[in-house]
Amino acid sequence: MASETTEAGKMANRAVAAQRPNGSTQGKICQFKLVLLGESAVGKSSLVLRFVKGQFHEYQESTIGAAFLTQTICLDDTTVKFEIWDTAGQERYHSLAPMYYRGAQAAIVVYDITNQDTFGRAKTWVKELQRQASPTIVIALAGNKQDLANKRMVEFEEAQTYADENGLLFMETSAKTAMNVNDIFLAIEV
Amino acid sequence: MYATKQPSLRIKQADLECKNGCGYYGNADWEGYCSKCFRNHMDQERQKKSRQSHAEHSRAHVSGFSKFEEKKRQQTDKKNKYLKSLPVFRKSSSAKESGKPEKYIDMRQANPDADKLLAEFISSYGEWGEFVRKDFFKCVQSFTTKILSELDAKPVEDLAEIAQNYYNLYNNRVNSNPVYQAVTSEVRDELLDFFERYCMVSLYRFLFCPPSTNDEEKDLTIQDRIRKLSWVNAHHLDCCISETSIEVRDLVYTAINDLLGMDSMKAPQEKLTCVVRCCRSVVEVLQHCQGGPVSADEFLPALIFVVLKANPARLKSNILYVTRFCNDSRLMQGEAGYYFTNLCCAVSFIENLTAESLNMSEQEFQAYMSGEITCVSAWESALVACEGMHQLCEHLALLKGLSERTTVVQDGTQKLREDMQKLKDEINEKVTSVLEKTPLIIKPRKSPIPLSKEDFPILPPSPIPKVEDEPITQNEDNQNPPHNYYLQNLSMSQINLLDSTKNKLQLDITPCIKIPNTIPVQSSQSTDFLSPSPAHENKSIDSLTPDDNSYLGLSKINYEIDFSDLSADNSIAEELTTEKCKSPTPSFTTPDPFSPVGTSCNIMQSPLVPSNASLPAVIEVKPVKRDDFVLPFLENISKQTAEETLLDKLEEAPIINLPSPIKPFTSEYSGFSKQGSKIPSIPCNTGDFSSLNLSQSSLPSCSKEIID
Repeated sequence: MASETTEAGKMANRAVAAQRPNGSTQGKICQFKLVLLGESAVGKSSLVLRFVKGQFHEYQESTIGAAFLTQTICLDDTTVKFEIWDTAGQERYHSLAPMYYRGAQAAIVVYDITNQDTFGRAKTWVKELQRQASPTIVIALAGNKQDLANKRMVEFEEAQTYADENGLLFMETSAKTAMNVNDIFLAIEV
Repeated sequence: MYATKQPSLRIKQADLECKNGCGYYGNADWEGYCSKCFRNHMDQERQKKSRQSHAEHSRAHVSGFSKFEEKKRQQTDKKNKYLKSLPVFRKSSSAKESGKPEKYIDMRQANPDADKLLAEFISSYGEWGEFVRKDFFKCVQSFTTKILSELDAKPVEDLAEIAQNYYNLYNNRVNSNPVYQAVTSEVRDELLDFFERYCMVSLYRFLFCPPSTNDEEKDLTIQDRIRKLSWVNAHHLDCCISETSIEVRDLVYTAINDLLGMDSMKAPQEKLTCVVRCCRSVVEVLQHCQGGPVSADEFLPALIFVVLKANPARLKSNILYVTRFCNDSRLMQGEAGYYFTNLCCAVSFIENLTAESLNMSEQEFQAYMSGEITCVSAWESALVACEGMHQLCEHLALLKGLSERTTVVQDGTQKLREDMQKLKDEINEKVTSVLEKTPLIIKPRKSPIPLSKEDFPILPPSPIPKVEDEPITQNEDNQNPPHNYYLQNLSMSQINLLDSTKNKLQLDITPCIKIPNTIPVQSSQSTDFLSPSPAHENKSIDSLTPDDNSYLGLSKINYEIDFSDLSADNSIAEELTTEKCKSPTPSFTTPDPFSPVGTSCNIMQSPLVPSNASLPAVIEVKPVKRDDFVLPFLENISKQTAEETLLDKLEEAPIINLPSPIKPFTSEYSGFSKQGSKIPSIPCNTGDFSSLNLSQSSLPSCSKEIID
């Protein structure tokens, strides 16, 4: 379902539409629930931490919880309040995911470009989201650890093709170098 | 018993529908039926069962209680069925207000919490005026009466829907009604929360775990399940909680307490607050264990662990209550929503936990579940022996602290001791080094014994001829050497002292004796000594007078004479001699004074003892010879004693004495005066005033003699 919508613009429209029925929008402030999905150790939390706090810790030294984070962004005349729900990536908790993405306006499915398995898992996440989540959900695919491109196992073109086929936003990101991190969040928002 | 039907829950669209094929969706809670069909099904089942007796159901629970439950449910089911079959009645009931006020009053009277909240409302929002308050309570009343009217008629899900509708209604009302125009937006949100809270606290006993549901059964099931899973530890869950660490355990206890506290709260948001607190504690635990931002990958297993270890009472009821009656927006968003979702996930995980989800073989899992394998984890042992262990741990911690403090104290003592030892060593070292630097002063001076012994043989021969030969001339002749010698001694010692080459002080004495003729230089020096000598005298006399009263007169006489000597520069030599003649005589007539000499001198210096011992022999000679001859000898001894005392001083406090050589002449001399002050004490005891005289007028008189 929704596989024909390939343009980001269309998805953005959907996203905006998704905010309204929720009733959480008040004036120019809209709340935006975003769920992070992906295999464990692909860098979900690092990505969010980079986005929210602008920081990256290779050895994760800071002492903040990364499971639930909020970030407010002002865009033109609207204030968007991101609420980012991290999910446990382990296989055994896979079945619990629907509880998290219930009522979410967006989901970022993260995979590790140096690990083909995580990309496979990402595909299953996308499939599941398309089937079970709200039909208006915006799905973004993020190939993380772009800074380790020399160890790349998942080709950019491969992922891009997959994203186009399934109407996903796609970017390769790096929480370490902050590449595309803000862009992917903003793209979802727009 | 529904095992054969359950697999149909999966995937296919058709499978999601009611098993009866009525076209509505089914629900897992209703065993795959839609709500209607489920009720029918239940009815049938009940009837069957009641005929068959309750053998199956009494398996896990108290049969009487479950019977009661069944009956109650049957009743409500029947009622629902009946009511729903009559749409007219349903409408009328939803149109509200028909004999409900009494019920509402009942409820209010029975609920002290509502009164508390009323007071809180007035204190918090009273400022917004009468109208706000009235409207608020109007809405509350309308809501509660509505719920109460529907309580027996509708399943709890419908009631939850009504509640959600009311929340939305009140939300709209607050934001649009002119009554609330003055109210700020924050307070509006607060009012919304308060509305929810007030209503839910009022209706808690009706809506929490209502008898129309099987919530209680679910509670018991999950409790049983968790109890059976008590063997699951952090390791099984791939969770990094270190169960053995005391701090971590304390934090986990905090989390567990928060989770358990959920049951005692009444309003859904209060329960949510407990969940949030619990989850924050869990995050803290994880931060403590792994040190880093806690992602969901670590958080969820930890929460599952906490739920497993807490096994909270009525867990399922609480979760369902919150899910039903908490404002939906709160559950879907925000931190509370997130953590509550996590809790639901944890419970769901526990309910569906299999061998696979713990990464173990089916056999192993079954062995654990059946109790074949019992693993005693650190956590379990802590839980079993909770109180004792806790106390033990606390005591251990206390003891550890105490022992640490003791070791600190001991270390301190040890260090102090070492420091003291070090200081001692240092001082000793310094002393020895100083002694090494100036050893010759001391060591040679201790050898006066042989010197004095040598003197004795020398001396006796010298007086003998003097006594026998012409007294005066020879006196003069003989006197000169001793006087000279004495002067030499004094002057030389002083020179040595002054020249800072004190080392040879003692050594110089011997040459002095041997070379009496090298005097000329000293005469000049002796004059130098003249000026300080008065001070000398005074001191000596002062010390003298108290010592021996019997000789007071004599001493005084001496003193006077001395002064006269000083005043009348001339003809001192004769006077001196006379004086000396006078002074020794009493000393000799009274032999006792000698004994004090021995004692007093001995105290000061041991080397003198032999010399004193040999003294009597000398004294025996003395009566024969002139007193003058004795004098130098005694003088010599006294000098020696004086020098010895100085030596002693040097030995005792070398550091103090060291600087003196560097000091200028006068100060040096004052040092000598100190020495001189001691000189009289000895002669005074001996009763030998010769020494006194010498000390008093030593320098001037002698110098004059020499001049003469």
